[in-house]
Amino acid sequence: MIITHVRGHSALRERDEDLDTSWFSQLDPRVKIVGVFSFVVVAALLTRPEGVTIALTAAIALAAASRVSAKRLIVAYAAAFPFVALASASIFLFSGWDRGLTMLARTSSCVIPLLVLALGTETFDLFSGLRRLKVPGMITTLLMLTFRFLLLLSDELERMKVSRQARGFRGGRSLLDRYGLRVLSFTAGMVLVRASARADRVYEGLRCKAFRKDMIPWRTSSVRSRDMAFLACLAIVAGVLAAVQYEVLF
Amino acid sequence: MHVPDGLMDPLVALIGLLEFLAFITAASYLGSKRLQDKQLPRIALLSAGIFVAQMLNFPIGGGTTGHLIGAALFAILVGPALAVVGMTVVLIIQALMFGDGGITSFGLNAINMAVIAPLTGWGVYHLLEPMLGRSGISGKNIAVGAAAWASVFVAAAACAAELAVSYAISGGAYGIAATVSIPAMLGYHAVIGVGEAVITVGVIAYLWDVSADSFLSKDERLKNRAIWGRITSSKTLQASLAVLVVFALALPLYFLYSSEGMDGLERTMDDAGIEEENAMLASPFGYGESYFAVLFAGVIGFVAVALIALGLLRAIGSTKFRE
Amino acid sequence: MRGLTYKYEDGTMALRDVDLSIERGEKVAIVGPNGAGKSTLLNLVAGFRMPFSGRVLIEGRELNHENADELRSEVGLVFQDPEDQIFMPTVEEDVAFGPRNLGLDDIDARVTRALRSAGIEGLAKRRPHRLSYGMKKRVAIAGILAMEPEMLLLDEPTSGLDPRARLELVKLLREMDKTMLIATHDLEAAAEIVDRAVVLNVSVVMEGTMSDIVMSKKVLQDAGLELPPVSKLFDAMGRMGYPVDSLPVSMDQAVAELTRVIDREAKRTSELRGPGNPRSDRKSRQSDARGNGD
Repeated sequence: MIITHVRGHSALRERDEDLDTSWFSQLDPRVKIVGVFSFVVVAALLTRPEGVTIALTAAIALAAASRVSAKRLIVAYAAAFPFVALASASIFLFSGWDRGLTMLARTSSCVIPLLVLALGTETFDLFSGLRRLKVPGMITTLLMLTFRFLLLLSDELERMKVSRQARGFRGGRSLLDRYGLRVLSFTAGMVLVRASARADRVYEGLRCKAFRKDMIPWRTSSVRSRDMAFLACLAIVAGVLAAVQYEVLF
Repeated sequence: MHVPDGLMDPLVALIGLLEFLAFITAASYLGSKRLQDKQLPRIALLSAGIFVAQMLNFPIGGGTTGHLIGAALFAILVGPALAVVGMTVVLIIQALMFGDGGITSFGLNAINMAVIAPLTGWGVYHLLEPMLGRSGISGKNIAVGAAAWASVFVAAAACAAELAVSYAISGGAYGIAATVSIPAMLGYHAVIGVGEAVITVGVIAYLWDVSADSFLSKDERLKNRAIWGRITSSKTLQASLAVLVVFALALPLYFLYSSEGMDGLERTMDDAGIEEENAMLASPFGYGESYFAVLFAGVIGFVAVALIALGLLRAIGSTKFRE
Repeated sequence: MRGLTYKYEDGTMALRDVDLSIERGEKVAIVGPNGAGKSTLLNLVAGFRMPFSGRVLIEGRELNHENADELRSEVGLVFQDPEDQIFMPTVEEDVAFGPRNLGLDDIDARVTRALRSAGIEGLAKRRPHRLSYGMKKRVAIAGILAMEPEMLLLDEPTSGLDPRARLELVKLLREMDKTMLIATHDLEAAAEIVDRAVVLNVSVVMEGTMSDIVMSKKVLQDAGLELPPVSKLFDAMGRMGYPVDSLPVSMDQAVAELTRVIDREAKRTSELRGPGNPRSDRKSRQSDARGNGD
């Protein structure tokens, strides 16, 4: 699962063609982050079913308009779904079906915009946007390195998996299989040790390029009218949602 | 344990966010002071490793699966401050890029998995290690295992309590009822904790065996122990820790009581009644009595956190002066 | 560099008393077998191996803990494995990364210049992960060039490349107007690129032009280095009795040397012609050589 999960994103990084195609990926990352986050916050506050329905519609509309690959969005949503479904199911059981559905719609209308943001933005632009939004340098630097090392680790894991299977290891399927878990944990340790040498190397590579603990935002895009329009749209939607929530509308 | 957006009551989430901000500020301040250039890639690598570990689900019977947290591993390897920062990074990537966890609930998720879990793990390990460490390698392993189990269990308890409180103060619109969330979360994670313990012990034993210095150098480890010594001997810290523990225990109990006494479950059972639904759903902030209780609790929590941070700074400051 | 000594953390001696000085504009190769300390030397000069004993002077400034970060942008280290050095998602951004960190102005122009000198103008918008290994090497080199360092440190620039990519990279490096220190065990490539070479095996074994080094077989044997095929061919010819003066290392040198050999041989045969029979003479020489050549 991890492999497909991470690869899903690395595939995003690797494709040449879909660079400057959609308007959404060309927006200033800061605007996207602020816009999506505020939408999520508003949507999370909704309790009336009408409001939640509108929020969900808006979220799906955003997904459609952003021209993010529908297939990838559905895959990502399915990966996030257990977290959403578990909560909804318990509400469903204990507070009635309408509450459960409201909860499901509410969490979905929060998750979908986030996934659109993640899939419709170059990952490094996202971090750069966070840095320009004054998130501490230590955290954004770690984010960037962690993301880079995820790819490194998934390569390393793949190799280990192959070599383990080549030697006929079939353990770690159950918690009762203590031997299997032990082999797994040694493998994890080995992967960490092996990857740490390469991780150091990658970091030295960065330092060769005058990197000093803090990343300087690249692509110094500025807020343009398009970005403002995007924010305005989201603000209108948020206003409608608030109005519905406080029963001004409907 | 990743709580998505829209599940927690906004107020609970807000308090969680504030507490998290206090912690992360203190942790990144302490962390950046101790962070050497050499360690930065190692921390990031551990974060990446824990990210991967959290995605590997293993079956725990009955058709359910659990995943590791890795917080205790992180804290034992690199110390508490950097572990808090590193776990936060893991959660940011999960929330931002994979939709696991959310934005509004980020504070709570971070409090559970990036603050409570590593700090518990670290604390339990350093509490047990001097007692058991002398009996050789197996004693050490027991300390590590206990720390890992405790970190999962306590974090799950915190998460369950947050869900229960959300349910109680929102009258059922948010959260999960205490009668469900607490037994389910605790039972489930008591089992997951065993897996976490076995794997943490294995990984740490391997790392200490093969390359003891690859993540935390020896004098860093000694310094960690010195800080722990300071903490256990500092009165301010002991007091604020005690306040925090009492607060953590009392808060869910209070809401459990209030949810059973007042409306809580019963209210949700007959919530087909339209007038009540309107009263309850009209505004996300209209909670009446419980609102102030939560606010009060939040303030206490915030003060406790601030006290702890202050105590930590003082404790570490005084070790520095001595050197 | 003066009296440079460096030990690994486990106490293994990696470099002993290495003395080396490089003039501005000079291209120098460090040749030696695996584990001879070539990469260590480059990493040390780039300030990644501290502490060491001895002194490293870069532009007259002594390398130490404080100025390592600063001096590193004067000596651009290019890794053996470009995968470790490429970080950003597009070529353009990766090349711009260094200058941006240095806070330089006019980044676009620098990027264009660096891409042109690395011969990859057309790849600016591409994803490095999708490029061939040889192209990745060029991206890594461009990323360093964009910072406009005084000097390039290249670690095994030709390793892992297919013959064509290797040839093109060698050509690129030969024509590039930069001070270079190249660690390699590819003697042929080194001969094409550099003016001077150093044989390193923990300490400096020999210093001179590439042809000097190739001529001293004992040094090569001790250092565990293998002659390039061309040199071997001429070596064998020499032993067969052909008048070979120097062992060529690269193709160009080989062509030049071969022309000279043919001239000399022609002169000699014309001298020999007359009393004896040149054909039988040649034949006996050949069989002779076959006897001890194999």
